[in-house]
Amino acid sequence: MPGRRRESPLKNPSRAYIALGLEGSANKLGAGVIKHAVDGSTEVLSNVRHTYITPPGEGFLPRDTAQHHREWALTVIKDAVAKAKITMHDLDCICYTKGPGMGAPLQSVALVARTLSLLYEKPLVGVNHCVGHIEMGRQVTGAQNPVVLYVSGGNTQVIAYSRQCYRIFGETLDIAVGNCLDRFARVINLSNDPSPGYNIEQEAKKGKRLVPLPYTTKGMDVSLSGILTSIEAYTSDRRYRAQGELDEVSEDIIRPADLCFSLQETVFSMLVEITERAMAHIGSREVLIVGGVGCNERLQEMMGIMAQERGGSVFATDERFCIDNGIMIAQAGLLSYRMGYQTPLAKSTCTQRFRTDEVHVAWRP
Amino acid sequence: MTDTPWHTVTIRVPFANPKHATIAMQVIDVDPELQREAVKRTLTVDGNDLVASFATSTVRLARLTTNGFLENVDLVARTIGEFGENSERDF
Repeated sequence: MPGRRRESPLKNPSRAYIALGLEGSANKLGAGVIKHAVDGSTEVLSNVRHTYITPPGEGFLPRDTAQHHREWALTVIKDAVAKAKITMHDLDCICYTKGPGMGAPLQSVALVARTLSLLYEKPLVGVNHCVGHIEMGRQVTGAQNPVVLYVSGGNTQVIAYSRQCYRIFGETLDIAVGNCLDRFARVINLSNDPSPGYNIEQEAKKGKRLVPLPYTTKGMDVSLSGILTSIEAYTSDRRYRAQGELDEVSEDIIRPADLCFSLQETVFSMLVEITERAMAHIGSREVLIVGGVGCNERLQEMMGIMAQERGGSVFATDERFCIDNGIMIAQAGLLSYRMGYQTPLAKSTCTQRFRTDEVHVAWRP
Repeated sequence: MTDTPWHTVTIRVPFANPKHATIAMQVIDVDPELQREAVKRTLTVDGNDLVASFATSTVRLARLTTNGFLENVDLVARTIGEFGENSERDF
């Protein structure tokens, strides 16, 4: 885009900086240690995570998730610090997820962050979960100024950066795409190990027919709750066969694999469309996909086709960084900290609602 | 205080020293109670102990508040137990 080139407010550090990041806004409990070196490079020293996996057919509830985080926090943090080959005293700051997310799980992680902060006399940095995803995606892929599609179990947003703010161009009007997929996985009793979305993706590969579903893009936004209702209704359809590997293509039947396939194709097309609208709006040619649903290779493939048609490219990370993790919190936190931001203890609360555009992105021009 | 009867619970949690008890108090005090009109909380340090007093308007709230507090103080105490000794070395 034309315009005078603004200098980055973030200069190379005069010494190395190290930060610990703690994440627990959903069912993943993560701790990671990141290092910003004098030459301006960024190094992941460790990235440890433990996921609370519920039995098939069940989602995760705040109370049990918080309990899982309380049980695993210390182990995961000690593991991350040991793998990074540092001591807690080496840290410059302790970063934690301030929000958005589930209340009780967020609070459990914040309690640990505050305790460590007081014990070791390290400043706290509260981080926006969405900004964490974006910053880690930028760091890992090297994308310069992409349109960001942030898709996970809790969030679905199309984001573009402008003047120190990650602006939301489009988003879901009701539920997140990952939430839609996860809830459908429960209906057809798919395993939640390693994640329901992964199992839907594998199941979808076996799908042979596309069933009609509503296609609900609303301008720059999408609506997903109606699609969820429709896909669930198919399981009551008289043509639906819950199990049995019937390979008779001539028979008019619908299998779970067909529903998984149809659901993915429909919702992913909608996401590609609203991403394309944002790209057209600002004249960008790069797409960065972040968030747990970003691991989905079919989504990456579909986005890639669209981007190529526009002469652009898609950037995505692997499951270490796509799925909620502590290192992204450390990265976004350390960037803020180096620009002079920290969270005083009295303000180190958590909040379930925290908009991506509420963050002042001081480290970018 | 209004004239509605309050249910009170006092919990005393010992720590290794006053410094740790104070850290626990400061950490837990950051989050306000979810129902501030119905639950009154007071946290103090007495010697090595963290003392928490709650006054709630219903028995159910007394149970929930106590349970929540104990879950949190257990987490903080375990964190101090795990990292506390190490944090004092090297200084």
